[in-house]
Amino acid sequence: MSISQTIETRRAGSRKLLSAGRKLATSLAVIATTLLGLLIITFVVGRMIPADPVIAVVGDQADQSTYDRVYKEMGLDRPIYVQFGSYLADIARLDFGQSHVTKNQVASDLARVFPATLELATLATIIGAGFGVPLGILSAVRKGTWVDHLARIVGLLGHSTPIFWIGTTVILIFYANLGAIPAGGRIDIYNEGLVEGPTNSLIIDSLLAGEWDVFWSALHHVIAPALILGYAAMAYLSRMSRSFMLEQLRQEYILTARAKGLGTRPIIWRHAFRNIRVQLLTVVALAYCGLLDGTVLIETVFSWPGLGQYLTSALFFADMNAVLGSVLLIGIISIAINLLSDIVYRFIDPRTR
Amino acid sequence: MLRRHVILLSSIAALSLAAPDLALAATPKDQLVIAMDTSSLRGLDPNEINQLEAAEIVANLYERLVVLPADNISKPQPGLAESWTISPDGKTFTFKVRSGVKFHSGNPLTAKDVEWSLRRLVKLGLAPSTDLRQWGFTADNVEKLIRATDGSTVVVETPEVWNSNLILYSLASFSTSILDSKFLADKDKGGDMGREFLQTADAGSGPYTLRTWRVNELIIADAFKDYWQGEPKMRRVLLRHIPESSAQRLQIDAGDADVATRLSSTDLGALETGGKVTIQKTPGFGFYYLALNQKDEILSKPKVREAFRYLIDYDGLAGTVMKYYGIKQQTIVPAGLPGAIDKNPYKLDIEKAKQLLTEAGYPNGFSKVYYATPVTPEYEVAQSLQANAAKAGIKLDLQGGDHIGKFRNRQFEIFSARSGDRLPDPHAVLQSYATNANNTDEAKLVGLNAWRTAWDVPKDIQQMVTAAAHETDQSKRVGLYTKINEAYLASSPALVTSFLRTDAKAVRNEVKGYIGHSTWLTRWDTVNKGN
Repeated sequence: MSISQTIETRRAGSRKLLSAGRKLATSLAVIATTLLGLLIITFVVGRMIPADPVIAVVGDQADQSTYDRVYKEMGLDRPIYVQFGSYLADIARLDFGQSHVTKNQVASDLARVFPATLELATLATIIGAGFGVPLGILSAVRKGTWVDHLARIVGLLGHSTPIFWIGTTVILIFYANLGAIPAGGRIDIYNEGLVEGPTNSLIIDSLLAGEWDVFWSALHHVIAPALILGYAAMAYLSRMSRSFMLEQLRQEYILTARAKGLGTRPIIWRHAFRNIRVQLLTVVALAYCGLLDGTVLIETVFSWPGLGQYLTSALFFADMNAVLGSVLLIGIISIAINLLSDIVYRFIDPRTR
Repeated sequence: MLRRHVILLSSIAALSLAAPDLALAATPKDQLVIAMDTSSLRGLDPNEINQLEAAEIVANLYERLVVLPADNISKPQPGLAESWTISPDGKTFTFKVRSGVKFHSGNPLTAKDVEWSLRRLVKLGLAPSTDLRQWGFTADNVEKLIRATDGSTVVVETPEVWNSNLILYSLASFSTSILDSKFLADKDKGGDMGREFLQTADAGSGPYTLRTWRVNELIIADAFKDYWQGEPKMRRVLLRHIPESSAQRLQIDAGDADVATRLSSTDLGALETGGKVTIQKTPGFGFYYLALNQKDEILSKPKVREAFRYLIDYDGLAGTVMKYYGIKQQTIVPAGLPGAIDKNPYKLDIEKAKQLLTEAGYPNGFSKVYYATPVTPEYEVAQSLQANAAKAGIKLDLQGGDHIGKFRNRQFEIFSARSGDRLPDPHAVLQSYATNANNTDEAKLVGLNAWRTAWDVPKDIQQMVTAAAHETDQSKRVGLYTKINEAYLASSPALVTSFLRTDAKAVRNEVKGYIGHSTWLTRWDTVNKGN
């Protein structure tokens, strides 16, 4: 290799590195702007809701001097931009403040409630994708048959039935009448305190600790809400999978493959399915994000102490530190899932590199 | 592929559903499980909390000088004070502190702890400090007025003469719980007297110790083995956060909970019919009330105020949505307290209301914005009033939401809610509903419902309320309260009372000794399950 070629190669390498650096910087700027925007909107909306955070703390019978004192203690006497600036400065130090309701640090509250939601949402996504994707594909492959009609009815029901109604009905039938599932919570109360693990996921921590009673109890408690959420996710994913697959099956390369005498199974799985993987990954990631921040109804019905319930309760009592911390966490998780799916795209589809 | 998935996932589901011995048919004999909505719980510091749910927990973690028995609420009994005397001038209360009482830390309880705890309540000056501050105690005078004179004697001096019951009732409140001052000495952070520590921990001497508290999930309290009255029968009390009424109903019905504390009227009715539980209706000292802002020209007319009293469907509501939540009462002294009278002269009468409106100069009615809290049964009561008012020509724009801040600041036209006073004495209600020493906006007497309503309460009523609070002769007091009650009823008040508040709980039939307490201090150490 000549000197000029070597220099050119190095220059090309530098350009690539620079370009990668720019992309990374742009991505980080976009992420930071998104999170800041999220916080600004939440902060402003939080100040507009009618609930008075001071009364939520001192009670409505408190006299004016008590009210004024707590108002100052909570820092509400400062201009809103100063409050927000101070909050951002605290966040930079990874201090999310104290919850006025729980009296704990918001970070420790989130470390406790988020794994509960993560456990539920992950299981629901596995169930939703595990059933929904194959069902959608089968429905597309057998379009117009009874399988297709059945899959569409199941999907439509999952899409249109209120999830809290399904939850209440499931509890009524399987808990109250059959005694097959527990009524709610993450674990049987008599197993409480047996496992205090590093992840705060009872299923994982009990497995790590070898506490089988706790493991079964945790699994027994999570399965009903996870199946219901999974059903809702399945309804969405089966419809999307069906639509993606139908689009592929209409392509000319499928016709060519069939003309060449390739069997149905290889056509579906080796050719059509490969081409919908990126789209599928996108919708599964979206469903997962939706489950992580939108399980509040099921959490309430099943008394599941997760992020949804925590956030709702914080909103109800105008507990802004808790609300902002939760919203920030949801934002970060959503961005992380999207980034992760972007990375996976690159592995499964070279065109996206 | 699909079949494989179905088999795999179905197997996991079936396996977990078939997990052995997980759904218990009944709670253990030595444990009490209470279903509770704990979302409003804010710490467990007795000098800071102000909610019914938190009060019940604190009542069992801590003890107080004086006890008001659930079945005889107006008769103060010795608690941590084994006896007390009152000076002839009625201003000095001397308490003999019980010996042999231990805190959960193992420290002995002394008069110094009593002194420190009562002073702490006043000095912190948070919401429940009203229990002592209303009698004239301030951060400046409390060191002088509340003092331990030796290891077992505490003297409490009041700046003015008050009826002794008022002071004793205050010393029976959850806010005057006695804390372990020695244990808390090294928990102080920046002069907070252990406030941060006590949010999630206890430093009491009560029959139960706090074992676990996971916010909005679970609270576990263990029986205190060295409790001076003997170890409680229930080895453990578990409070499970169940916000949904229907979920509470199913669990108590199935036997997975012993007590359910937050149930809708429908669920209470269904449980009562089922026969497995008893519905306890504990009368409180607060009212469901309608507030008519007197800064409003129309609402300030006595005939308009009077018209509203004919627009409430007392009997219809009493048999339906209020069946478990209240007892019809149109007077101001709560039933069962001195001066209470059984007199409910008003009933729904649209024609009478129309006639009063015509006499007031509004034959075609008027329109007003009406704020109400969107919770059961308050909102149903508001909707009923809205419908009846419409028949009389009054258009009420009913707006649900948290409007208590606007009510406190007089920024409303019509508002309805329920109050929750805790002292078993007429003064607690009357002070808020029937005194308003300064009706100007600047006075900011925001703790008083009368001031919030901008109601310049007739001076004779206010004078009688003040006189009755200072009156030491009990029979004279009863006479005064009877007079006040009559005068309030006749005054076309701006604060219209319709129902006396009751707190309904469902208790499984096998649970004995769980007795709802009117001042929110329900005890667990009296509970047994036939063992």
